[in-house]
Amino acid sequence: MKTPRDLLFEQHQDAKSKLDAISSEVVARSREEQHDAIPKLRISGLSNFALLLWRELILPSRRVWAGLAAAWVLILAVNFALRDPALAGKAKVSAPVMMSFQEQQKLLNELLVDRSLPDDVDRPKSFLPRPRSERIVVVMT
Amino acid sequence: MLEVAAPEPLPVPQARAGDPAAWETLFRRYQMPLYVYVFELTHDEQASLDLVQESFIAAVKHVGSLREDGKFGSWLFGIAHQKCLQRWRKRGGWEILFDEIPESPGETGDGPDELLIRRERETEFMNLLNQLPLPHRSVLLLHFVEDFSIEEIARITETQPGTVKSRLHYAKKSLRQILEAKNENAA
Repeated sequence: MKTPRDLLFEQHQDAKSKLDAISSEVVARSREEQHDAIPKLRISGLSNFALLLWRELILPSRRVWAGLAAAWVLILAVNFALRDPALAGKAKVSAPVMMSFQEQQKLLNELLVDRSLPDDVDRPKSFLPRPRSERIVVVMT
Repeated sequence: MLEVAAPEPLPVPQARAGDPAAWETLFRRYQMPLYVYVFELTHDEQASLDLVQESFIAAVKHVGSLREDGKFGSWLFGIAHQKCLQRWRKRGGWEILFDEIPESPGETGDGPDELLIRRERETEFMNLLNQLPLPHRSVLLLHFVEDFSIEEIARITETQPGTVKSRLHYAKKSLRQILEAKNENAA
């Protein structure tokens, strides 16, 4: 006498070797996947993080982000359009030109300082004081 | 007094942690019951082997969704049952076979070993099993093969426990009736 379970199992004994092969195959496959997954995780850690950010932060509210990006582009465009062209030109002057310009400015400043002073101020006197006896009176006739 | 050794606990936590040896143990434990169940529903050897393999792969992939380690067996059978349903749905036959059976209330106090089959009746038993409507056969197989409780069978087949109870009762009653009728005819 057999139980239904015993009978059912007995009926399918032929499939045992095939089932063993299937079990081993699935285990081997999962083992391979595990081995593959670990280095991949290490290498692509950064890209995974970026992907995660994209998926969790950007993608759910992509319209909001697109709107913000458009607003920033508009702000930058307006900012460039309203810029002073003279200032923009100055910004393009190269360093050597700037140096010579500064030197010229310096020379000009020195010259201007000399011109601006009155003739008798701070000018060294050309004669030395002498005793009265040595004074020569020149009579103009 | 005879002491019965407690069954060894299944290495489900180790399998969950990705231990291949644990998976090997689990697969060896369930490969035959699962195959018997699937084969007796489909009667197609290659399809049954494919379904067992697909169920194992799905188990490895989705073990994170298993809530209780002690329910691994019924969870795995649930996966296999769903795979069978998908295959049948593709062919368009499962719904009719599974839904048109009237349910009858009844008690199912008997264990799976209550029904013992004599050697000369073995072939008859298998033929009778195959004559049962598919929903009843499914419930009866789960009861015979793994001695699952009513609640576990309900979870596997995604039906109400009351429905499982009545299907099991109906299936057993049908088997007995057919066997008795055969015996009477033989006498």
